[in-house]
Amino acid sequence: MTTAPGTPNAPGTPNAPDASGTPDARGMPDALGTPRAPDVEVESDEYVTGWRRMHPVTPALKGWKVLVAVLAIGWFQVGENLRQAIDLMQGKAFLALLGGILLIGLIGFGYSAVAWRVTRFAVTDEAVHLRTGILFRQQRQARLDRLQAVDVVQPLLARLVGLAELKLEVAGGSGSAVSLAFLRESEAEALRAELLALAAGLQRPGTVVPAAVATPEGTTGTPGTPTAPVAFEVAPERQVYELPMGRLVKSTLRSGTVPTLLLIVAAAIVVSIASRDISAAFVLVAPLFGAVTFVWSRINQGANFRAAISPDGIRLRHGLTESRAQTVPPGRVQAIRLRQGPLWRGPDWWRVEINVAGYGQSDQQQRDTVLHPVATREEAMTALWMVLPDLGVDDPAALVEAALTGKDTDGGFTTAPRRARWVDPVGWRRHGVRVTDRALVTRTGRIWRSVDVVPHERTQSLGLAQGPLQRRLGLASFVLHSTPGPVAPRVQHLDAGVAAALLDEQAERARTARASATPEQWMRAVGAPTPADPDPEPTTAPPEPAPDREAPAVPPRTGADA
Amino acid sequence: MTSDAVPADPRSTREPFDPADVTWTPVSRRLVGARLTVTAIVLTPVLALLVLMAVFAGEAWLWVFPALVALLALWIVWLVPRQVNAMAYAERADDLLVRRGIMFRSLVVVPYGRMQYVDVNAGPLARRFGIASVQLHTASPATSASIDGLPPHEAARLRDRMASRGEARLAGL
Repeated sequence: MTTAPGTPNAPGTPNAPDASGTPDARGMPDALGTPRAPDVEVESDEYVTGWRRMHPVTPALKGWKVLVAVLAIGWFQVGENLRQAIDLMQGKAFLALLGGILLIGLIGFGYSAVAWRVTRFAVTDEAVHLRTGILFRQQRQARLDRLQAVDVVQPLLARLVGLAELKLEVAGGSGSAVSLAFLRESEAEALRAELLALAAGLQRPGTVVPAAVATPEGTTGTPGTPTAPVAFEVAPERQVYELPMGRLVKSTLRSGTVPTLLLIVAAAIVVSIASRDISAAFVLVAPLFGAVTFVWSRINQGANFRAAISPDGIRLRHGLTESRAQTVPPGRVQAIRLRQGPLWRGPDWWRVEINVAGYGQSDQQQRDTVLHPVATREEAMTALWMVLPDLGVDDPAALVEAALTGKDTDGGFTTAPRRARWVDPVGWRRHGVRVTDRALVTRTGRIWRSVDVVPHERTQSLGLAQGPLQRRLGLASFVLHSTPGPVAPRVQHLDAGVAAALLDEQAERARTARASATPEQWMRAVGAPTPADPDPEPTTAPPEPAPDREAPAVPPRTGADA
Repeated sequence: MTSDAVPADPRSTREPFDPADVTWTPVSRRLVGARLTVTAIVLTPVLALLVLMAVFAGEAWLWVFPALVALLALWIVWLVPRQVNAMAYAERADDLLVRRGIMFRSLVVVPYGRMQYVDVNAGPLARRFGIASVQLHTASPATSASIDGLPPHEAARLRDRMASRGEARLAGL
């Protein structure tokens, strides 16, 4: 079905051949690992063999945190009366303090060592099992067919010693991610390939170990057991775009925070000169601190940003101090948003963000959900194409163009009627929605432009909302609910009748699209080639990322359900 | 939709929150009693306190406060039945519709295949009034589809129905 992009949505084929494969993939009663009892199975996992341990250096890396935390608390306590503290620090007291710090450090490392001893994980064909906990034992099981994303995270310290953390997102609510920390870097990579291949529905390559990535680490746990991990071949990938450092720095400086800060600085200088009192400058400390933190985090997270496509899905690599390699399998991106502030309009830069179930519930959603921190128009198109190879229109470039910068009925958009200017005098001409065969495209914002795209089969639920003023004017807002994340599509101030019709049609469209969507195990849709015969599509994908013309013809691999 | 005048577009005369092929089931009127009881429990002590203050202080202007509270209570007594009247739900073949609000109106369409789990809640007061509430959860936290004021047997029926229909139409994320 990847060869015929139109089929999944073709009317009259709700039970497309590939849909027959869904019952076994979806027969389980929990569509998402039952959020209330997230992925933690209390039943025994004794039958699981092939338990493995984390890398022995793990306690050293984790124990640090205890020491740092204690020192930080101590610093805050002492910080206020530092002089008294220094006076106390003479002679034996100093030694006692050193001893205390040492003791705390030892306790921290000791605890981490014990925790390391009891932490084990195992990979079966269906799930990843993780046993943790010293006092309160926890057995966690993440089902692979519910896998939403796999991240390889390397904090600075781990990076220096060549270790990495493997994180599995299964969309079971906050704290449902399974974190395997720390593993040897090569082992983490091999394990990621294995998990993604299993999640895709591929069979284990049996006893034949592909020479390419035969990692001795992978089989150290229990040699000889049938479930002992046999290395999968790492899926080939092709880089699609990367972000030059210069553009990242420039864009951060033009991001609205910095100009605001400059305004505050100017105001403070004016006030202090006018009042001949320097104390006004002190109000600068807090915003300055905030701005520096913001700029640093943007640059730190966006540095070395590279995106690639592979049969496993979208690969994102980024980070200056802490490097992250995210893999989002096909069909796991729930929605995509392109944003542009007023200062980015000149160079025509766009920030591209995505909703992925599982991301977005953590506190670091800011960095997990970015598909491109600063994209040019072409790169933004490419990013959109990676997620949704087929927009469902004949001329995707024109549609995206109209969505990004157009107003009124450009590009076939349905817009807010003229009377909406009473409730939104500035932006009413930008509010618009366009329904294609594959996705819903919404457009909003005149100064802060924003475009959301949601594939029909990823629609969660729909809604209408109407306030008293809108009711007077015969308007209503259309809301589309997606999984948690930065994208929350909403079309303001549509004609009430149009909005109601849209709601009805969209519910119907989402239903048909769901019925024919590719299964969760994405390789099943293409007849599950063996790993020895990897999906050839990355090589057939357009050599030049030209989403405007080639995307509908050549969707990368199973991305048809993106 | 490009027309300026409100009634010119024939589509806007159609009631957007009342699709044509849908039969709405209103929620139980007992919800009015339950909500008013909650209001009474909250407002009565406040009112009593304010009245006592006014009586003992002996200042005429102090009666303004109990009067305001009484006005608020009257407004709620007027509002709650209207609110409850506006709340309704409808089961269609593939999705559930939940409607609410008079001034700020909203309508939510939840496909059965998207339902992750269903909550049925009944607090002590609700149990006394013989009602329960059903809340539907999808993978989106924005889906605010809760139906208050269902008779317990109806709530249980709805829950089971949702569960069975959800299983039949289940889709991944």
